[in-house]
Amino acid sequence: MAKIYIIEDDPKIRTELSLLLTKYGYECRASDSFEGVVDAVLTYEAQLLLLDINLPVFDGYHICREIRKGSDVPIIMVTSRDSDVDELMSMNLGADDFITKPYNTQILLARISSVLKRTYQGGGSKTISHSGVTLDLSKSIASHEGREVELSKNEVRILHLLMKHPSAIVSREAIMNDLWQSDEFVDDNTLTVNITRLRKRLETIGVYDYLITKRGQGYMV
Amino acid sequence: MKLRSFLRDKAVLLTAFFLAFVFVLIFLSVLRVPGYSIGFIAGVLLLAMLAGLLTEYLYKRAYYRQVEKHLEALDKKFLLMELLERPSFAEGEILYDTLRRTGKAMNDEIALYKRQSTEYREFIETWVHEVKTPIASSLLLIENHPDEVTRSIGEEIGKIDGFVEQALYYSRSNSVEKDYLVKKSSLKEMVYGAVRRHASGFIENKVTVSVEEVDFTVYTDVKWVDFILGQLFVNAIKYKQDPASIRIYAQEWDNRIALYIADNGIGMSEADAARAFEKGFTGENGRRYAKSTGMGLYLCRKLCDKLGLSITLTSCPGSGTTVRIVFPKGTMHLL
Repeated sequence: MAKIYIIEDDPKIRTELSLLLTKYGYECRASDSFEGVVDAVLTYEAQLLLLDINLPVFDGYHICREIRKGSDVPIIMVTSRDSDVDELMSMNLGADDFITKPYNTQILLARISSVLKRTYQGGGSKTISHSGVTLDLSKSIASHEGREVELSKNEVRILHLLMKHPSAIVSREAIMNDLWQSDEFVDDNTLTVNITRLRKRLETIGVYDYLITKRGQGYMV
Repeated sequence: MKLRSFLRDKAVLLTAFFLAFVFVLIFLSVLRVPGYSIGFIAGVLLLAMLAGLLTEYLYKRAYYRQVEKHLEALDKKFLLMELLERPSFAEGEILYDTLRRTGKAMNDEIALYKRQSTEYREFIETWVHEVKTPIASSLLLIENHPDEVTRSIGEEIGKIDGFVEQALYYSRSNSVEKDYLVKKSSLKEMVYGAVRRHASGFIENKVTVSVEEVDFTVYTDVKWVDFILGQLFVNAIKYKQDPASIRIYAQEWDNRIALYIADNGIGMSEADAARAFEKGFTGENGRRYAKSTGMGLYLCRKLCDKLGLSITLTSCPGSGTTVRIVFPKGTMHLL
């Protein structure tokens, strides 16, 4: 998975953020010294940089400018200031995205994956597999032992989210939140309908009981 | 300056003159001065007095008329002294100098308060940004250690974040400087963005959100509108009744775009609806259902006023509240 470098001066945010990103399958490194941080980022060959603006020694703008001199690694600026000037500055210095603290983690993850997708797309179709089922994200197709079925946009998102966390329970709220982040404001009933339909689709390619319901907790694959 | 009030001020002078005049006439007739001479002297005295009074009256009247005219025309009355010329009669000079000095002293006083309020505002801004870091790290900690307790703490932290945000926008709404950036923006993006940001609140409270036709271009400040929408969403969640739903749609009329946020919550009485935007007004719902500060809608109105938007509210007890925000469509506002 993608390698992310975190430049952040608050130690707690640093550790918790790396923990969170690791949980979502990213490889993370964070620095606690800010002296030679630019070289550290370049030698780590990070695929994405999360950069705080308010830093000791040099501020985020300076680091952003320095990195842009030698690398096109995507940069997401993270800051607690939400002024237009900050956003404008960041964009002018070549940052790819801008997000304010405290961030909704779902939004942060969505931004990270969209920036990564934008930068590193290509390299064939994106697929994810778990216990015999393969999901092709670019074609919206699920396949099992040579049989294929086409899925709707919502079904792909739900299945993708569950497959990203194999053997872990994903709550209904988390699934709904994920769908909402792509502007599908589904309610409880719609989610039930989507899940039922997804199960039916999977049954047509010979996959039974793939989505396990954990009563009162959520779903799991 | 009325002639009568002018003469009233001169009452002492006039009485003294009249007495002296009568005395002189009597004195002259006792001395047996011929009648025509007395008449001539009386005429001269009266004429001199009249001419003197009239000149003074006309001169002062012209000056004070000018003062009144300037005062009327001025938007900020305290700037009057900047427009006036120093008069050339003694009382006027004293008054003019006094007013100038008090005016200057007042300006210094105002400058002091202005500086204090700017400093305070700067402090609030910095404080808000400082406090956002611990909020962010708490939320991350909660996210990484999910259980019942942390989930509940997370909700509370979310509330704190909301209050902090209110404080920030309150200080911004009070500032004298222009603190917003009006630009061409997509209403759809703003609405969708705001709904996305409040996704967890809606989902946890099982509120169905339906966004209908909102694909319009408006001229406004995106962040401020985002904050306003957030306040409205929080209210819709706070005063919901199951099954809760919120409908967002927009209409175009007369070169304006109206955005409607309609919920099916508990609503409020007509009397409460009329006062809903007042500062600190909580109404019956605020007392009965959820603790409320009466700041949310007040801030919405204040920010809307600054942005040149109109915000109105209609409500029916038991069947919901609809808030309407009207965006002017012309580009005039950019100026």
